[in-house]
Amino acid sequence: MQLNPLTRKKLQRFASIRRGYFSAIILSVVLLLSLFTELLVNSRALLVHYEGAYYLPTYGAMIAGKHLGLDYHYETNYRELKQFYAEQGRGNWVILPPVPYNPYENDLVDGAYPPYPPTMANKHYLGTDTTGRDVLARLVYGFRIAILFSMILLLCNYLIGITLGCLMGYWGGWFDLLFQRIIEVWSNIPFLYVIMIISSIILPNFWTLIIVMVCFGWMGMTWYMRTASYKEKERDYVLAARALGASTGRIIFHHILPNTVSIIVTFIPFSIAGGITALTALDYLGFGLPPPTPSWGELLQQGTANVHAHWIVTSVVAALCILLMMVTFIGEAIREAFDPKKYTTYI
Amino acid sequence: MLIMKKLLLPAGVVIAVLLSSACDSDRQATEQQATTATQQVLPPYPISPLPEGLAWETNTDDPVFASADAVTGGTLRLFMLSFPLTLRTVGPDSNGSFRSNINGNQLSLTTFHPNTLNIIPQLATHWAYGDDGKTIYYKLQRMARWSDGRAVTADDYLFTLEFMRSEHIIAPWYNNHYRKEIVAVKKYDDYTISVTGATEKPRADLHYYYNLVPTPRHFHVLDRHWVTAYNWRIQPNTGPYQISKVNKGKSIEFVRKPDWWADELKYFKNRFNVSKVRFTVIRDLETAFRHFLKGELDTFNMVDPKFWHERSKHPLFKEGYIHRIWFYNDTPQPSYGLFLNQDNALLADANIRYAIAHAINMDKLLNNVLRGDYSRLHNIHTGYGAYTNTAIRARGFDLDKVDAYLQQAGWQQRGADGIRVKDGVRLSFTITYGVPDHTDRLILLKEEAKKAGIELQLELLDSSAAFKKILEKKHDIAWMGWSTGLRPAYWQHFHSDNAHKPQTNNITNTDIAALDTLIMTYRDAVDEPTRIRLAKEIQQQIHEQGMYIPTYMAPYARSAYWSWIILPEFYGTKSSLSLFNPFDAGGSGGLFWIDQARRKRAEQARRDKQSFAPVTLKDETYRVF
Repeated sequence: MQLNPLTRKKLQRFASIRRGYFSAIILSVVLLLSLFTELLVNSRALLVHYEGAYYLPTYGAMIAGKHLGLDYHYETNYRELKQFYAEQGRGNWVILPPVPYNPYENDLVDGAYPPYPPTMANKHYLGTDTTGRDVLARLVYGFRIAILFSMILLLCNYLIGITLGCLMGYWGGWFDLLFQRIIEVWSNIPFLYVIMIISSIILPNFWTLIIVMVCFGWMGMTWYMRTASYKEKERDYVLAARALGASTGRIIFHHILPNTVSIIVTFIPFSIAGGITALTALDYLGFGLPPPTPSWGELLQQGTANVHAHWIVTSVVAALCILLMMVTFIGEAIREAFDPKKYTTYI
Repeated sequence: MLIMKKLLLPAGVVIAVLLSSACDSDRQATEQQATTATQQVLPPYPISPLPEGLAWETNTDDPVFASADAVTGGTLRLFMLSFPLTLRTVGPDSNGSFRSNINGNQLSLTTFHPNTLNIIPQLATHWAYGDDGKTIYYKLQRMARWSDGRAVTADDYLFTLEFMRSEHIIAPWYNNHYRKEIVAVKKYDDYTISVTGATEKPRADLHYYYNLVPTPRHFHVLDRHWVTAYNWRIQPNTGPYQISKVNKGKSIEFVRKPDWWADELKYFKNRFNVSKVRFTVIRDLETAFRHFLKGELDTFNMVDPKFWHERSKHPLFKEGYIHRIWFYNDTPQPSYGLFLNQDNALLADANIRYAIAHAINMDKLLNNVLRGDYSRLHNIHTGYGAYTNTAIRARGFDLDKVDAYLQQAGWQQRGADGIRVKDGVRLSFTITYGVPDHTDRLILLKEEAKKAGIELQLELLDSSAAFKKILEKKHDIAWMGWSTGLRPAYWQHFHSDNAHKPQTNNITNTDIAALDTLIMTYRDAVDEPTRIRLAKEIQQQIHEQGMYIPTYMAPYARSAYWSWIILPEFYGTKSSLSLFNPFDAGGSGGLFWIDQARRKRAEQARRDKQSFAPVTLKDETYRVF
């Protein structure tokens, strides 16, 4: 693939900033893996061999216990099944994922009360929360939700913000003035209160939360894009395009936008971090996704309320720190790569 | 009753905001006016002729329930999770948790002995019953004084009626109650009155339903500014303590009246021993517990198993500096449970209701999460003495029974996720609730119900929003509890008059003609055996209908306290909901005391790194469950 020499140079510079580069690689791998979490962290087995037949329970309909030789009609508990087969010794076997728990089930032990500390034997590698749910499972599934949430939020925010910002800058005049005032007024609405009020009246779900957050989050990008378009539209190449009879859409999307892309790209990592922290904060306060959705904010809340069960709070704080740090490193590296001044250094 | 008052809150908040922003100078004017009003001589209420032949009764023969060993003095330090929005006890924003502290220092005419449950005098010395079955006559205590030194007279009781009926207090529930339930209060002389209620009741019940608390007539100016003008004014009271210091947003201090008029009366002697009670705002339970461990609070409520079992592993407990007590009481239990809305097409089917009841794994919840500290509640009205039908047992977790019931209803097929389906409809219900701490309990029930092929979705709303949704009957299943009364009440919860319409307490939309008849007969019945028989029969019907799934109860008080707080040898009474309530003059509050010398010794011992034997008391004298 032939890359623009400028782009190639930017990529080279990005790769030369090691912590940003590695963070990007690690985060991409984790993100990719998180799409297949069901294979890694799940109570459903990867493969079951029962009476000569093979079963792949991970995706698809639940398999009742009766079907695999147990005596109940509800979904098979594969950890018990594995033990059962081992005791039976009839050549049936079960392969479980590395973490054999889903983020919803309460793994309760008679005579002891959750939260249980981490144990290798039970495969609760980071312990359990206050109702006996695996902390690692909730962290992993919580991560997937948070990162997807953040990315969708970013996409919506940028779509509205960039379009409006560019139009404001490009058209100017009354359109610009009107939207400036609208944005000023709109940004003064206390977003957190609105969210609190809404989520105390209705039960928010993933999409309603995104809609609400987009309603109050699209303004940030408009200012930057407005300024950038204002500047760009006076450039000769835009005048030339106009002289050739290009439409507004074409000028904005084919000429102005590619020249302002560095602004957008620089902001992306920080917006992702912002989205994750916003969702975590809302969940922490109890105004985010409804229980029992796995969420970092909810874990953080449990952790701070149960400091004696230190494994909860340490796990989630560590995960949050590492993730936000990596995102920041990437952001830093991108900024550096797109910086025309070559000798800015980060120590 | 309590819950109905709560419902008025949202409207009240709006009104309060409107009023407080209305006019500040107006308020000052009214406050001045109010001060001058106290000096005014108000015209006395008219006097009626006292009927002949009243048989006056009193009761000074029941045992005392305080310890003669009690010593006075010291400051009891407690906390509150938030600062009250007002010091008024009626009107907008007044239904907060702090109100019980103010009301705990307002005596009423009579009360129930906490152990024998007989009527004992408070502000009335004698009482007599009218022939109509709904009037009680009272002779008032002549020694009774307001905290500002004025005598408590008949006019203060007649004023209560005027006050509670006034539109200026912006309290529709009270307006309604004092119009519809309390029909008349009459004055015969300055120290004799009568109270007439709307319906006939057994004699003991009259004391409960038609009791009255006096309102200081000389203190109030009832006009449209009342709500704002009296927000932070301290109303004179008749009880042992009065608010002495208000540090807005931070703390409230009560001081013991040095020469309280009731000090030497039989049922008040040796009670209310601490000199000061200070409530400090600590917004979080965990932080409050830290303060308690530092010795900045004297007692800490430990009903929550997490605190009783886990937090008390702290060395201060093992070294005997902090003691613990688990004290069983015998009082009516709040009806906690799942309330099924029968207007929901699926829940209208009794088989499904029974199936849900059998799919709720209460045993696992009680034993594995709540550590066996709570007990299963079996009946909607438990702890009401003879009125409770103890033969009723709640339906237990049983997947075979779920299968059988759902088979009958045609729900044998399970979908891909294990939830049952019929004609494309999933067997899924939403549980509406308003207490974030209960999420832990519900997710366990949800996971267990999945095994039965029933999906329970959790809907946690802000507590007032949840309650509003439930009262508007927009819920599938409500997770909540009703507060208790002296006797079971059914009309508001289960009569068809209140079904299928918003803002009534029939949240199950129960509409059964046979049950209606029973409820109305129970309501109108006057003699006790009939009422008891009917109450039990109604409870049986409710059980058979299956629209209410009882959950749990915690029939005890459980606390931790520093060793210098001393309880009487019997710890508490049959009705003690808390052993360390410094007020509750009408119940059994203020039985403990502070041993100052012991406190000094304990503090010295801590400096010397000594330790004592740990103390954990468990008293089952009044245990019934």
